[in-house]
Amino acid sequence: MMEAIIAGLGGLVIGFKLLFVNWQNLIMLGVGGVLLWLGIKKDCEPLLLVPIGFGCLLVNVPLSDVMLKDGFVRTIYDAGVDTELFPLLIFIGIGAMTDFGPVLAQPYTFLLGAAGQFGIFLTLILALYIGFPKLDAVSIGVIGACDGPTAIYVTSKYAPHLLGAVAVAAYSYMSLVPVIQPPIMRALTTDKEKKTVMKFTAKPVSKTTKLLFPIVITVVGGCIAPKGLPLLATIMLGNLMKESGVVARLTGAAENEIANVVTLFLGLCIGATMAGPAFIRAETLIVLGLGFLAIILDTVCGVLFGKVLYVLTGGKINPLIGAAGISAFPMAARVVQKVGSQYNKKSYLLMHAMGANAGGQIGSVIAAAVMLSVLAGMGVIR
Amino acid sequence: MEMDNFTFGITMLVAGMGGTLATLGLLSLMMAGLGKLFPYKEEGKED
Amino acid sequence: MAIDVVAPMPGTIKEIIVKAGDAVKEDEELVILEAMKMENPIVAPGNGTVKEIKVKEGDKVNTSQVLVVLG
Repeated sequence: MMEAIIAGLGGLVIGFKLLFVNWQNLIMLGVGGVLLWLGIKKDCEPLLLVPIGFGCLLVNVPLSDVMLKDGFVRTIYDAGVDTELFPLLIFIGIGAMTDFGPVLAQPYTFLLGAAGQFGIFLTLILALYIGFPKLDAVSIGVIGACDGPTAIYVTSKYAPHLLGAVAVAAYSYMSLVPVIQPPIMRALTTDKEKKTVMKFTAKPVSKTTKLLFPIVITVVGGCIAPKGLPLLATIMLGNLMKESGVVARLTGAAENEIANVVTLFLGLCIGATMAGPAFIRAETLIVLGLGFLAIILDTVCGVLFGKVLYVLTGGKINPLIGAAGISAFPMAARVVQKVGSQYNKKSYLLMHAMGANAGGQIGSVIAAAVMLSVLAGMGVIR
Repeated sequence: MEMDNFTFGITMLVAGMGGTLATLGLLSLMMAGLGKLFPYKEEGKED
Repeated sequence: MAIDVVAPMPGTIKEIIVKAGDAVKEDEELVILEAMKMENPIVAPGNGTVKEIKVKEGDKVNTSQVLVVLG
């Protein structure tokens, strides 16, 4: 009987023993703790980092079976991440929250939203050069969309083994935009350019235009890049619901209840992909590094494109607003306003930057959609 | 047929980035057109 | 010579910092305009005296609407 009791008690300590055998899990428990600390104490994307951090803890407890077949997180993962449902559901909410008025009032800002996507493709090439397989490189490049749901959508479909690293990179760099961007913006522009004052003269946009916008984007964008139709369609559905004003209950559900529930599940699942042995590899660090570079390249190309516009318009467009052509909305636009007003207090770039920023939101989705359709055209994916 | 990484990368840059720029350029023209077609009128206190 | 200080973008008047009769220098903050959930200080385009304040806190303003008149 004594033996049975000892064996039984042994079952209670085996977890601790394994903790020292599987040192990777121990490290990842620490990483999970850091993510939680960033979310809770540093207020860095807490809505995402708290569930991600906790998911990371969960999966790294030795003998944890949450991600094994029929484990509870695995069940959520299979239902929502594997099927790409979660990022799409979140997109309905993002569409319902975003006011595309500033970009519609100044359609040229769509182009700035395109220039901010250069980082995706440059990083893709770099990842290929380093030796990543094609679809892995695509998923790493898409961090440069600076858009969590898009990155998760593409990665979960084509390189699920990179999901944890890509998602963490996309979300954490997104919240670092106010730190990453200003030095690049300062370095690339001359004093004269920085001080350019832009008048905001655009008239408000009519309700008809605002209603037609999501429909046109879905149909035209969908025809050009059918592979990305789910991404485009969900964000535009949310926006149509918001602008129509007749389905306030659905809009409210999309931007609150649905987005909240899905964010919780998605965060947990992403955290749970960060299991020690699979996550602690040189590859992960390289992915994180390349993702960082992607966002730097986005900013560089955005500002350079702004400089081109500055020259083309004879100095009417302040190149700084080029930095706002990424998807981190509305952070990037605020960064531009702040940097601009540091150099010229009489310069108010906010509305122009908001246009570029809303353009970047569309731009990142279009870029991902185009990329998928080009891949399909080449026969790399089906 | 397996395509080499160099061809793949350049194709993605040209077709991908080019496609993105072209698509957004087209959309910006279309939205500018829509804005002209349905100009803003004072819509009372509708909003 | 009176100078009109106008709203550079649509928004809501969050705070009025100066009052009529105040002497202000170039780049001194006159009004805080909240737009897109961001507080934007509207500054004096040049040295002068505040002649008249045309808005009150909480007002919604449109682009080019006169906020403050400097004399």
